[in-house]
Amino acid sequence: MKKKVLTVDDSRTIRNMLLVTLNNAGFETIQAEDGVEGLEVLEEANPDVIVTDINMPRLDGFGFIEGVRRNEKYRAIPILVLTTESDAEKKNRARQAGATGWIVKPFDPTKLIDAIERVTA
Amino acid sequence: MDMNEIKEIFFQECEEQLAELESGLLKLNDGDRDPETVNAVFRAVHSIKGGAGAFGLDDLVSFAHVFETTLDCVRSNKLEPNQDVLKVMLKSADVLADLTNAARDGGSVDEARSKQLIRELEALANGEVPAASEAPASKPALASQAAAPAPAAAPAVNDEGFQPIPFSFDDFGDEEKPVAPFAPTCEILFHPKRELYSKGNEAALLLRDLSRIGEMSIRCDMDSLPLLEDMNPEEAYFSWKISLVTEKGEDAVRSVFEFAEWDCDLEVRTVEEDVEADAGDDELPMQPVPFDLSILDDGDAGATAEADEPAEKEPVAATENNVVPMAAAARAEAPKTETRSAPAAQQAAAAPAAAAASAAQAAAAAPTIRVDLDRVDRLINLVGELVINQAMLSQSVIENDNNGVSSINMGLEELQQLTREIQDSVMAIRAQPVKPVFQRMSRIVREIADVTGKSVRLVTEGENTEVDKTVIDKLAEPLTHMIRNAVDHGLESPEKREAAGKNPEGTVRLTAKHRSGRIVIELADDGGGINREKVRQKAIDNDLIAADANLSDEEIDNLIFHAGFSTADKISDISGRGVGMDVVKRSIQALGGRITISSKPGQGSVFTMSLPLTLAVLDGMVVTVAGQTLVVPLTAIVETLQPEASAIHSFGASQRLISIRNSFCPLVDVGRILNFRSTQANPVDGVALLVESEGGGQRALMVDAIQGQRQVVIKSLEANYTHVPGIAAATILGDGRVALILDVDAVVAASRGQSLKQEISLAATG
Amino acid sequence: MASKKAAQKSLSLAPVLDLNEATALRDKLLALKGSDLAIDASAVERVGALCAQVLMAAAKTWEADKRSYTFAKASEPFLKTMQLIGVNIEHLLAKEIQR
Repeated sequence: MKKKVLTVDDSRTIRNMLLVTLNNAGFETIQAEDGVEGLEVLEEANPDVIVTDINMPRLDGFGFIEGVRRNEKYRAIPILVLTTESDAEKKNRARQAGATGWIVKPFDPTKLIDAIERVTA
Repeated sequence: MDMNEIKEIFFQECEEQLAELESGLLKLNDGDRDPETVNAVFRAVHSIKGGAGAFGLDDLVSFAHVFETTLDCVRSNKLEPNQDVLKVMLKSADVLADLTNAARDGGSVDEARSKQLIRELEALANGEVPAASEAPASKPALASQAAAPAPAAAPAVNDEGFQPIPFSFDDFGDEEKPVAPFAPTCEILFHPKRELYSKGNEAALLLRDLSRIGEMSIRCDMDSLPLLEDMNPEEAYFSWKISLVTEKGEDAVRSVFEFAEWDCDLEVRTVEEDVEADAGDDELPMQPVPFDLSILDDGDAGATAEADEPAEKEPVAATENNVVPMAAAARAEAPKTETRSAPAAQQAAAAPAAAAASAAQAAAAAPTIRVDLDRVDRLINLVGELVINQAMLSQSVIENDNNGVSSINMGLEELQQLTREIQDSVMAIRAQPVKPVFQRMSRIVREIADVTGKSVRLVTEGENTEVDKTVIDKLAEPLTHMIRNAVDHGLESPEKREAAGKNPEGTVRLTAKHRSGRIVIELADDGGGINREKVRQKAIDNDLIAADANLSDEEIDNLIFHAGFSTADKISDISGRGVGMDVVKRSIQALGGRITISSKPGQGSVFTMSLPLTLAVLDGMVVTVAGQTLVVPLTAIVETLQPEASAIHSFGASQRLISIRNSFCPLVDVGRILNFRSTQANPVDGVALLVESEGGGQRALMVDAIQGQRQVVIKSLEANYTHVPGIAAATILGDGRVALILDVDAVVAASRGQSLKQEISLAATG
Repeated sequence: MASKKAAQKSLSLAPVLDLNEATALRDKLLALKGSDLAIDASAVERVGALCAQVLMAAAKTWEADKRSYTFAKASEPFLKTMQLIGVNIEHLLAKEIQR
């Protein structure tokens, strides 16, 4: 059974990079364009792990993470945040919102897959 | 999809983000303080930075980073986005666009300019007010934002019992380094907090990862575990003491806990002596943990797990409740790193399925699709052939069907209707709003305003008016040029404007709208208008008109479009300043468009461009000239009339006028201009097409006869043959014959050339 | 050891014993308190530390109640994970599955 990854990012470039990287590594990938859509597809996607951006329209990454953690059914899903090295403050806010871990941008495929494997069984 | 394609997507996205950025900044400039506007601006820069980082575009990343930092100050209300601040930001947006273009096309950028802006942005982030500012000083509480380095993540480690590290691990990971005879042992105390679990981390996974970097023994401390009825099932009760024999050092151990260190108590120390002595102090012995990568992977066989299997089997079999020696561990480690590429190969085999899946994903995500322009053009071309074919079929049916009421004929009419609809629909695929071009113009205005020291406001209207993509692409250059002229030559200096009782800030208004099947773009400035005396003098100086020529205001205004009007020292490439408007006019004409000017002294000038919505088809009037069939674009024709001998007036050697409703209009013999015949035809034997030309008023084009009106598919002469003066393009008629499409403006220009200066005659070149 | 008079009850564990299952698992176990218990862990694919805590808290509780508490069947991932996280359940395993 393939592991399912839900990616939430408003950048088409990053979405495509995630898609290619994850598909090549043998994951099933579901994509959403912002936090609102991420929460909407949660039920249908039922992912093993979530990778989300922080800066997004409609609902940002913090709000999205809080939404997942409040969801009785899906609150246990590990959530990785795409962030930049310099954003120590954002990393903290994401953690407070309930993020499991983070992936430092620009991500390279190995780092991304490593991080996913670290938080999934 | 490969990385190059993603890069292409990235640059497309950059363009969209840059447009978003600019329009957001302009909204802020107009006083918009909606936090979502600020957020959108921030996101645009952030998104460009993120993508650029992924492709290693360092210049772009570092500029975007500084820009982003300053925008973040605005976002967090530490920096008021006043006019001065926005001026810097708009310029920064321009540099960001330049850097993006340079990254894509390999060009270079003005480094001094980008460095200057980086300084200005940093100054803003540091709370320094721009030099030119009249605004009150903003709060100086921003230094930490930009200048302070990101605080190093402080490990939540208790200093007690922390021993100095006996080895330097600088080289760890270097495989050529000889293996130390005695691997050091790390002692780890790991006490998770409740939050560790609630945030989706899992102690068991962390311990799994630890077991993968060395030979691990573990003891779980369950002392704090209450009875079942007293426990909170989501509270953290277990804690662990681990000893790990590893060469990878404390850093590797800590990195396992990277995600968890906030939510646990963690102590890591390295002990030189054997662990057994230490372990002996504890009341309970530690359990050795087999080095077993698959321990938690069962039942979850992703592609990686599959690839891992050969490597795993051996250690599993070899251990059985025992400890794996490091050598075996190292062997097991090696194939693990290769699993990244192995699944990729497997995936390649299953590519069609995966591609289909991702395509389905993409379709679900976006309501639009991106199509290669070539494909659309091929379709348009085919539809063009269909139109021609349908016309030929109609014609042959009509020729063979005398009464014209057969069912075939009616079916043909429906076919014609359908063909027309298909054609319109296909053309609509290429139609795009003029917005991107208009947005680019605001940058041009800023730049030229900067250079000239004028204060200018650009107002755009009708940005969503749609027109063929080719037209849009080709519009940018002439528009750029006209905007520069409007600001540079059209608008007065702020002082002059004030003296004239005008707002010192000039306004340039760019408007697009649809009008009778064409797109009309207007560029209006509220400057001083054309200085007719000066223009007239210059035309005389340049030998364009006779010193005593009697010209109407309109004719004088239109002199600026004349090829000979620009003085030689000002002619440069089209993007340069102050070059001739004739270049602009030619660009517009090449698009099948017309340009006119109307100017009011002291109130400004309006340039009006009328362009076809598409370059693929044209409604034309089919005419006969000297035995040749020509097509005259219908849009150019005001009316047709049968000249009477009494209305024709001759003057000079070859000039003739026709009087229409009490005004005189020059008569142009198309056959003579195109050199189809050597002597002028008798106007009374032909038909006059009254055409509106851009500036020179009306002209009556003489043709021999009118065959009819029809839509024709434009076939480029340049692409298939060569440019012919006076001819815009060719087409294939219903009977299969090739007909030339008349370039009305060129013909009129040639005739006006005659009236301005006798030696300019197209006949000489025809 | 186990009282021979009380009927032995059994509990089958869910395949995934994660954060979401911890509370449910505790409630299921509490409902069986006072009886001898044979746990079937043969379907377990994944077990996290929280559920391991619940299972061990139950073992402690059963011990206090002097009731028997055994793992009658256990999957390989279950046993391996328990070993990995240093939770010794050797003494709780039914004779047939002891190593």
